[in-house]
Amino acid sequence: MPKQTIQSGAEVSASLDALVAEIYQKSRCRVFGLTREQFDAVLGEIARKHLPADAAHDDLCELYRGLHAEELALARACAAGHEHAWEVFLTRYRAKLYDIAGYITKESSAARELADSIYAELYGTTTREGQRTSKLASYTGRGSLEGWLRTVMAQEHINRYRRQRRLVSLDEETEEGIQFATREPEPAMAVDPRVEAAIDEVLAALPPEDRFILASYFLDQRTLADIARTLGVHESTISRKVDKLAKSLRKQILAGLGRRGMSRRQAQEALEVDVRDLRVNIRSRLAQENGVPAFSKKKAEAPADGS
Amino acid sequence: MYLATFLPCGASSETMVEISKIVGQRLEAIARPEDHPDANLLGAFAERALGNRERAQVLEHLSRCMSCREVVSLSSMPSERAQIVSVASGRGWLSWPILRWGVVACVVTVGAVVAIHKKNENLNGAPTIAETRPAVEMQAPTQTVASPNGGKDAAVSSSPVEMADAGVGSPLAKAVPGRAKDAVAESRDAQVDAGAASKGPIPVNLTPRWTLSSDGTLQRSLDSGSTWQTITVSNSKASFRALAANGLDIWVGGSAGALFHSSDAGEHWTRVRPVVNGQVLRADIIGVEFPDLLHGKLTIADPAAQALNRSWQPGQSLPQYDFPADSRGQDVVAQKIPVPALPGKQTWTTADAGQTWEKK
Repeated sequence: MPKQTIQSGAEVSASLDALVAEIYQKSRCRVFGLTREQFDAVLGEIARKHLPADAAHDDLCELYRGLHAEELALARACAAGHEHAWEVFLTRYRAKLYDIAGYITKESSAARELADSIYAELYGTTTREGQRTSKLASYTGRGSLEGWLRTVMAQEHINRYRRQRRLVSLDEETEEGIQFATREPEPAMAVDPRVEAAIDEVLAALPPEDRFILASYFLDQRTLADIARTLGVHESTISRKVDKLAKSLRKQILAGLGRRGMSRRQAQEALEVDVRDLRVNIRSRLAQENGVPAFSKKKAEAPADGS
Repeated sequence: MYLATFLPCGASSETMVEISKIVGQRLEAIARPEDHPDANLLGAFAERALGNRERAQVLEHLSRCMSCREVVSLSSMPSERAQIVSVASGRGWLSWPILRWGVVACVVTVGAVVAIHKKNENLNGAPTIAETRPAVEMQAPTQTVASPNGGKDAAVSSSPVEMADAGVGSPLAKAVPGRAKDAVAESRDAQVDAGAASKGPIPVNLTPRWTLSSDGTLQRSLDSGSTWQTITVSNSKASFRALAANGLDIWVGGSAGALFHSSDAGEHWTRVRPVVNGQVLRADIIGVEFPDLLHGKLTIADPAAQALNRSWQPGQSLPQYDFPADSRGQDVVAQKIPVPALPGKQTWTTADAGQTWEKK
């Protein structure tokens, strides 16, 4: 079969047309108020977004077959303002929005605020060039509508949290002496560039999933269960993998340092000694010896312990 | 000098997994978050709905972008059972698989029994489908059973299907953002204020509804019964005559011993082949009962039972099969355990598409 591309609209094969017609039927577009032409336009938009211009016919069919067509039709009909679609959407998802918000924020007032703000974006309270814009118009049906709602809410929650963190009270800064903190001194010793290069080489060679697991576990401090749920495997699988990765990392880094001219002992010391920790350790000891930070009346009243 | 390591939270010294701090710092340094995947891709990734190529691309980005990892983690909302399993198994893992699964099974069983207790008030051998359907569904599929004797015996042992109205029929046209003050929202507020939003059970209005059509197909509704979708059960051509639904856990039974189970509300199915004394069950299943997630009961329309049924007298028993726990995906060795028959009736009929049942 000749290769079909998504841009050659006039050359859409009969089988593709039949597939789209079948999806149109199953998606209940008519019930929600979407015409066949509107639905075709939606599918075309999704194909352009997720596939290259020269995508094969089979890839296109696979993409279409994998869509959550009914939810896609519902979302796009809502975005277009069809009332019946909104009734169905509200029946199915309104309560879920608050549940999801409650799970994400863990606090009732924040949950309500988050759910309400997302709801407003979904409903389309903002207008652009006189047209109401709804966030539901960006749903493409790759995953479930509920999953998409969870992701959208998670993104909004994280953005809000970041915005709040930037607004730090000047009083708080003064209390902690942050405004008057000295500049961080340069390290007494630079890290051997061979160490960084060896580590970077090993990390780059890891499969993305392994790097994801390492980053989630060691940087983000996520639990094994959390990571396992994300990847769809059992917790014990992640536990074994983390253990295996940690051991294998060390072995490969030592080998890399060896190739860069370090002896075994030098390589082991290079991995175990971190001058930044030495520096931090000294700083923390100095801070304790000095005792009270400046300009904090509250802390100045604390009993001195000989320092 | 001291050893600087990255230790995961809560790691004990016996099971300490560590990487050098400098390795952790390089892992952080290689982060170059560009072109963040949108909510569609991240959501599909969290649901494992992406193809291999796209999944690898998203994972590559996630391995470098803490923000997106955080989004994916927050949006991977655990199911009730997943939460229970996570709590039960904890950070380490039990060395005895049987003990581990036993703990999980106990917790899940207790939780399921408590959750369905209030809905199973009529389950003393008088099963009902506690399903409310609007008037337009009077022509909708029923759960009546065409027994071999030509009469109509209702599905005997169907557990109540969970459902509750969450404001269906309420004036939705007035549902404007920011003015969610109807009864549903108020009850939702009470739950959130009580801190139940993140800890309590998933409200029943979020559970799918199930039914069997008159031609034996399984149907599911995700909108409280307004619309129904036919569910393909593992490409089976069996005609189903009985089902039991318990949250996301569904069992359907039908012709020629066809018995299927799904633990994710019908997304994936497993064929269960009951075996009795080495013989695979091939008779029609006309009743399914699952009062909890593990223990099940079938009512079979085999010739012996039919003969018994025709000549049944009060006090006689009807053959039933009890299955041991954890029978999913495996051949189950069932044992015939005679159960005292209910006095009077052995057939069940419905006249209103499954809303109420009558004994005859």
